[in-house]
Amino acid sequence: MMTDATQSRGRVEIDDVVIRFRGKQGPVTALDRTDHVLEPGTFTALIGPSGCGKSTLMNAIAGFVTPAEGALRLDGKPITGPSPEVGVIFQQYALFPWFTALNNVRFGLKQFGLSRRDEIDRARAALDEVGLGAHADKYPQQLSGGMKQRVAIARTFAVEPKVLLMDEPFGALDAQTRLVMHDLLLGIWRKHKATVLFVTHDVDEALLLADHVQVMSQAPGRIIRHYHLTQERPRALSRSGNELLEIRDEILGLLHPKTMLADTL
Amino acid sequence: MAVTELPRTQKPAAPRVAQMLAQGARRGAGYGLPLISFAFILGIWSLVGLSGVVKEAIFPAPWSVWSATVEMWANGTLQTDLAKSLGRAAVGFGIGATLGVTMGLLTGRVALVRTLLNPFLNLLRPIPAIALVPVAIVWFGIGEGSKYFVVSYTVFLTVWFNTHHGMQYVPDTYLRAARTLGASKLREFVTVVLPAAAPHIFAGIRLGVALAFLSLVAAELSGASSGIGFRLQEARQYVRTDRMFSLLIILGILGACADLVVHWIGKKLVHWEQG
Repeated sequence: MMTDATQSRGRVEIDDVVIRFRGKQGPVTALDRTDHVLEPGTFTALIGPSGCGKSTLMNAIAGFVTPAEGALRLDGKPITGPSPEVGVIFQQYALFPWFTALNNVRFGLKQFGLSRRDEIDRARAALDEVGLGAHADKYPQQLSGGMKQRVAIARTFAVEPKVLLMDEPFGALDAQTRLVMHDLLLGIWRKHKATVLFVTHDVDEALLLADHVQVMSQAPGRIIRHYHLTQERPRALSRSGNELLEIRDEILGLLHPKTMLADTL
Repeated sequence: MAVTELPRTQKPAAPRVAQMLAQGARRGAGYGLPLISFAFILGIWSLVGLSGVVKEAIFPAPWSVWSATVEMWANGTLQTDLAKSLGRAAVGFGIGATLGVTMGLLTGRVALVRTLLNPFLNLLRPIPAIALVPVAIVWFGIGEGSKYFVVSYTVFLTVWFNTHHGMQYVPDTYLRAARTLGASKLREFVTVVLPAAAPHIFAGIRLGVALAFLSLVAAELSGASSGIGFRLQEARQYVRTDRMFSLLIILGILGACADLVVHWIGKKLVHWEQG
């Protein structure tokens, strides 16, 4: 099972996609024409001002939203709706409060038709992986924000998705917890090797985690800049050299509305 | 309508008493607080009775109400009336709540059923239970049938409404999470939609219990030969205000107890929803 998941691909093609919503005065473009490929096993951070359509793009890849134009494909097959091949981690955790941590993880495993014993064993292993083995029988409301998100990570990775979408997953956590979560996420990702698309509005978070940083313009959003980061992980802005700091300044400049105006003029 | 007035006038007194007795009462007994309120009201009531300002026939003193209760118990009418009324409320509630939850799940989930029935059911909701009594008597006679009908009809509409709306407010992220985790439609319904709607369903059931008593007494007041409502009507004919007060207080206590039980069961079943 494990080897299958690592060998199978997870290539996401975003082929000239435009996404529109129905507004009060006709359709509103949420995402302008975007053409992009997420290569298998890469970690891409998507960053941009709020309302630029970065979550919209993510929702389309998850199959929650249908593009008005263009096509989305996973390993050559069109994405027609949500599927367990594309895992999603939500900012608000989306854990089911009526299930314990263990049963939240088991929820995703039901589709495999395992025996009860195997299902519980796998769910426990997934919780151990995020360091929550001792809290398996607690309900989400008994856990802190960071712990809830760990359960959500365990629940999603247990299903072995080819693609993992994360929508500002650590946005609601304090800075200290966030750093711990970064290490945890990178550790698990290295093991499972899913293709990750990580939506954030925090430049530092993008620089610490990603292979590729895509910067989006203001609404209607489109990708305006790409950075390929090759620095060794774990990174820290202070010790990973001046290059990261320079990129950081550039991105902050891009996100600043005034510079963006100057850019387009 | 005195049925609802009784517990309502007693409730606001509780916080006031708590303030007056301040810390001691608050710290001591959480369960004792309602008793303080009842003792307070009973004290004022007794003073009014002792003063003799109001005629006994209009506003009987507590001890007169007590002896009327003892009298009704001694001649056995109280027991039979209670049994009759509680039985009717229970049967009517059972039928109404079962149908209400079932229908709510259907209209909440199946677009065709929703299109066919929702506008009609919404049109029925504002019709007061008491207005149905004449129709019920023509259809089912003066016996148990008409009581079951009125009670279950009232309970059904409330429980249906709350269940239906609970189904509408299932958070989108729960459904999205379920679908990305490979849940089938059936599993999504049973393990995500139902529990997510459960707090609303229970709110509807709790309202249904209160309405069961309300509509039952309405039905018994106009066309019955037994039950608390009938006994109230009978007491009016003999101007037995003491009996009326006794019956009203009993109704209040019964309603409050039923509410406590339903609330407790709801809290056990929907244990994740705390405040």
